[in-house]
Amino acid sequence: MKNNAKIKMNCRYILNLVGVVVITLIGFLSFGQADSAVMNQGKRPNIIFILGDNHNADFMGCAGHSFIKTPGMDRLAREGLMFTNTFNTTSLCSPSRASILTGTYAHNHGVKNNHISWTGTRKTFLEYLSEAGYSTAFIGKWHMPGGLPEMPFLDLYVSYTDHEGQGRYFNCPMIVNGEEVASRKSYITEEVTDYAIEFMENSVKTPAKDRKPFCIYLAHRPGHPPFQSPKDIRGMYDSQNISKNLPKQVDEYWFGKTDGNVFQGVMMGSYYDQYRKYCETITAMDRDIVRILDKVDELGLEDNTLVIYMGDNGMQWGTHGCHGIREPYEESIRLPFIVRAPWLIRDNSEKCDQIIANVDIAPFLLDIAGVEVPKSMDGKSLKPLLREPDGKFSDACLLEFWRYYPENTPSYTGVRTQRYKYVEFEKSRKPWLFDLKKDPKEEENIYNTPNGQKEVKRLQAIMKELKSQ
Amino acid sequence: MQQQNFISRSVFPVVLVLAIAIISFFGYSGSQSIENDKIRAVVALIFGTTYFLSITFGPFYVYTIGYVKGSLLKERILASSLTPFLWMTKEVFRLTHSHPFLESLYWYLSPLHLWLIMFIGLELGAATLIARKILKNRGEVKIVMSPAPLIVMGVSLFLVIGAYAWGKGENLYVMFLEGYRILFGSGLS
Repeated sequence: MKNNAKIKMNCRYILNLVGVVVITLIGFLSFGQADSAVMNQGKRPNIIFILGDNHNADFMGCAGHSFIKTPGMDRLAREGLMFTNTFNTTSLCSPSRASILTGTYAHNHGVKNNHISWTGTRKTFLEYLSEAGYSTAFIGKWHMPGGLPEMPFLDLYVSYTDHEGQGRYFNCPMIVNGEEVASRKSYITEEVTDYAIEFMENSVKTPAKDRKPFCIYLAHRPGHPPFQSPKDIRGMYDSQNISKNLPKQVDEYWFGKTDGNVFQGVMMGSYYDQYRKYCETITAMDRDIVRILDKVDELGLEDNTLVIYMGDNGMQWGTHGCHGIREPYEESIRLPFIVRAPWLIRDNSEKCDQIIANVDIAPFLLDIAGVEVPKSMDGKSLKPLLREPDGKFSDACLLEFWRYYPENTPSYTGVRTQRYKYVEFEKSRKPWLFDLKKDPKEEENIYNTPNGQKEVKRLQAIMKELKSQ
Repeated sequence: MQQQNFISRSVFPVVLVLAIAIISFFGYSGSQSIENDKIRAVVALIFGTTYFLSITFGPFYVYTIGYVKGSLLKERILASSLTPFLWMTKEVFRLTHSHPFLESLYWYLSPLHLWLIMFIGLELGAATLIARKILKNRGEVKIVMSPAPLIVMGVSLFLVIGAYAWGKGENLYVMFLEGYRILFGSGLS
């Protein structure tokens, strides 16, 4: 009897202990519960990565722009997490796209300017995901010289080579899985979005138990000159008083044609009109982002699909007397970046102001898919930030640029921290040092001041370290 | 037709156009520091416009005056091209702030410059006809119309419109960049 009682007590003790351990573990792992649920059910998340072109991060309704209509991006921001300090490590189309795809800096992937072909020395995140069992689609703008590369691992490959890979806004001939075909829709964002939607629809036709998760890379043209939009959008901002949105020094008729800005495709017409048309193209693209989000809902994929919107570059509209994307001012290097992942983001009322770089995208997407991030990638996954936007991430982001003919910006290397931006230029241009906390508009170069000189060495050391990666 | 002295027939019109261009350039740049919004906008509009006119339409004025005052063809063409050429040189010089000298020189062939050269051809053809008309009214020449200026005008007009109509100038720009890559590769060693 005594022995039986002892055994009963031991059993109760062990059961209690197990119970406590289980409860503790459940509590401990509760942060990752939803994520684990998604992963453990064999439902690795689908990924839809949408890329805009030359999209100034302030040109979204959710970013506070005074008139632009972007309900799709606004919805993403409302349901997801908007990052306000995301930077382009090389402020030019081809290098930026290569950095996004490979997770590496331009000095590593080798596409240093728009005259250098895709080197193919680094694998894209699409290839890694394909190897991990994802169904992958590259749809839209490739825009690196040397034609479209072979990417046999893709399940769908839709792009174009017209106009040096820039494509046309209307009736752009497409190359679908290697075959040139006529465009099915007149406007280019509708055309490429249709392919993305078809890919999603085909994906869900497969019985659930055999279904592979998908990843769609959807790269749009809007934001790039010449700014053209569909008929029903064209002219929608004609009544807007643009002078309120531009620096006082920017006049309507001549700014875009003088002092070097003639390089930027704004030779013709009024600068204010160019601004309006630019906004119209963003709105046109946004309409197709709405279509994507609606289709995700319609197919019942919203709880298991990561949706990202990002730009490849920013865009300067007259600030500092410049028009374009290549000068390392905030308007050029800061990117719009919004992530929606309902199973990871706990509080979507916040914005995240951590420093993120375009090289962080590929590691992030691999991490989300449960694929090990290769050491060769320079960026790191920002998945932890989705749960804790205030958590520790990067202290600084490398900025590098190799001169690109005929843009009148010398090669440079720099670093952007939460507080400072330091840039060293080649040729005769003097270094920049801006204290962004005191001077967010970058109007006072403090490089030659005693305070500035105190910071320079520290920033140079950070720059050197980032550059050595 | 009596030939006037070199200063009167060529130097004066060139200096006048060039002076307008230079004053306009500094006037436009200076307008940006004017605090009053309305005044700044007016000053920028005036100087921006005169800057554009002096570079783009200056050749028409210089050529017409030169023709009426008895300049020879070569002299007229050189004189009328001087201001646009100096503007192009300024743009080329600006590129040397970022690019090597030879690559900067290639900017002379930029689509914008080519478009301006084509447009100047159109102007010179028209200036010839107008100058002849003035001289005819004075009884100094008999013929106004002849094939040469009409052909120059026709070809120039075709090229001016064609260069823009062909992909809104984008195709020409793509060709220009292809030429650059053939000559200089990516520009990076």
